[in-house]
Amino acid sequence: MIRIVTLAPLDDGDLAFLTKTLYQAFGLGTEHAGDRKLPKEAEGAGGDYDAVKLLEEVDPVRTIADDKVLYVTAAPLSMKPSPLGEPPCWGYAQYGGQRAVVSTARMPARGATEASIEVFRRRLARECIHFVGHLWDLHHCYDPRCAMHPSWAPGLPADPDYGLDTFCREKSERRIRLAKT
Amino acid sequence: MKGPPARHPEEKKDEFPGLEGVIRAATELAPGDRVVYPNQGVCRVVGLEQKDIAGQRLELVRMTREEDGASVMVPMNKVASVGLRRVASADVMEGVFHYLGAIRDDPELDWKVRHRDNVERLIAGGVLGIAEVVKGLHSLSRLRPLPTKEREQYDNARHLLVNEVAASLGVPPGVAEDYIDYALDPPAGVKFQLKPPPKPFVLTIPLYRRKKPPVAAEGDLGLEDLGLDLKALGVAVPEGEEVEGEAPVEGAGAEAVEVTAAKPAKAAVRKPARKAARKAPARKAAKKPAARKAPARKKPAARKPAAKKPARGGKKK
Repeated sequence: MIRIVTLAPLDDGDLAFLTKTLYQAFGLGTEHAGDRKLPKEAEGAGGDYDAVKLLEEVDPVRTIADDKVLYVTAAPLSMKPSPLGEPPCWGYAQYGGQRAVVSTARMPARGATEASIEVFRRRLARECIHFVGHLWDLHHCYDPRCAMHPSWAPGLPADPDYGLDTFCREKSERRIRLAKT
Repeated sequence: MKGPPARHPEEKKDEFPGLEGVIRAATELAPGDRVVYPNQGVCRVVGLEQKDIAGQRLELVRMTREEDGASVMVPMNKVASVGLRRVASADVMEGVFHYLGAIRDDPELDWKVRHRDNVERLIAGGVLGIAEVVKGLHSLSRLRPLPTKEREQYDNARHLLVNEVAASLGVPPGVAEDYIDYALDPPAGVKFQLKPPPKPFVLTIPLYRRKKPPVAAEGDLGLEDLGLDLKALGVAVPEGEEVEGEAPVEGAGAEAVEVTAAKPAKAAVRKPARKAARKAPARKAAKKPAARKAPARKKPAARKPAAKKPARGGKKK
C-alpha cells in the first residue's frame, strides 16, 4: 500500500487526483494517512529543508512490511551539493527503501483557473510517481516520456501532456510487479 | 561444447591496468575494507576462509555486496586477476564528474565495436570506465533509442556508477543519481565551470581479444616460405602496389607484425584492419585480371592444390 502523508495542507481535490493516479500507476491501494509537521532538525539556514534529513527525522506513520510512505510538502528542499554544484531538488526517495518526499515548491503555481489547477495536479502526480518509482529500485531514464526521467531535465515539458501512469519500459513495470509479490 | 583453449603455463596472464587502487594481492585486503568488484558493485571484505571445493582446499576471500548482502568469494590467488579495486577517492570522483559534464564526442556508431569496448571498460576501466559507458550510451540515446542489449548495459553501468558515487562521496544512492544526471543533463541555463577531465584509460591488453597471429597480406600465399620460386610458378605480383610506393607484400606483413607488437592497444590494432577492409575492394579489382591471366599461361593440374594449401596454412598460422 502507498500511504500519503501531508506535511502542508493540500486541497482535497488534489489529493483525490493524486491517490487515483498512484493507484493507476502502481496498481496498489493508496490512501491519505494523515498530516505531520516538518521536523525542525532538517531546516537549513535559508529556510529550505535538507531532504535526506527530513526523511530521517519526520514523525513516522504506522505501516505494514511492504508499505511505501510518500510525504508531500510545500517547503523547498535541498541536498548536499555535488562536485558540480547543487542539483535542483524536487524530492528525494530512499532508493529501494520505504520513504519518499516530494516538494511542490518548484512546481507551477496552482492558481485558481481550471487549467492551472490541472497543470499543477498533473505535475504533482508525475513527480510522486517518479519518487515512488525510486522506492522500487528504479533508476532515472533518458526517455522524456517516462515517469523516471529527471524532473529538471530540459527535455521534460513544463506541462506534461502524456500518460502519467506509464513507464517507458515493460521491464520497469515488471520489476514493480515482482517487488509487490 | 568446446571451450576456450587451455592456457599455456608460460602464457602471460591478463593484466589489469595500473589504475589507482587496483588490488594486486590478497594480502592488501583487511576485514572491513570496501572494494569494488567489477560488474558486481561495492563489496565489503568479511575475511579469509578455507573451503574444500572439488577435492581441493582453497583459501578464499569472503566479501559481502553492500547493495543486497550477497556473498562473493574469490580464491586468494585470483584476487589480482579479477580486477578488484578500492572505492574511488573523492578526488578521482570529482574528475569523473568533470568528465560527465564535458561535451561528448560523437559516439562510436559500429555497435559491435561499441559493445565490446563497453564490456572491457566496465571490467577494467575503473570508475572512469563506467562513467564512459554511461555517458557514451546516454549521448547515443539522444540520437536514437538504444537496442535492448545496450539498454541493459546502460542500466547496469548506471547502477554500478550510482553505487560507487554513493560509496565514494558518502551520500545515499538517490542523491548520487541526482548528481550524475545533473552532470549529464543539466537544467536549462546551467553551465559548469569544468576542469580538464581525466584522460580515458586505454587498456594495454584487451581482455576479450587474445593476441591473434598477424594475418598475412592478401597477395602473400606463403609460397616463398616453402622455397618456391614465384616467377617460375607464374604467380603475378600486383604492380599497382609497387607503383603507389607501398612496401612489397613481404614487407607489409612484417610491418604489420611490428605495429601489433609495439602498440597492442585497441586503436592501433583496429585501424589497420579497417583500412584493409576499405582497401580490399580496390585490391580485388586490381588483382582479378592478374588472377585470370595466370592460369591462361599454363594449366598444370598439380599447381592449383599446391597454391592453395600453403595459402590456408599461411592464414591459419
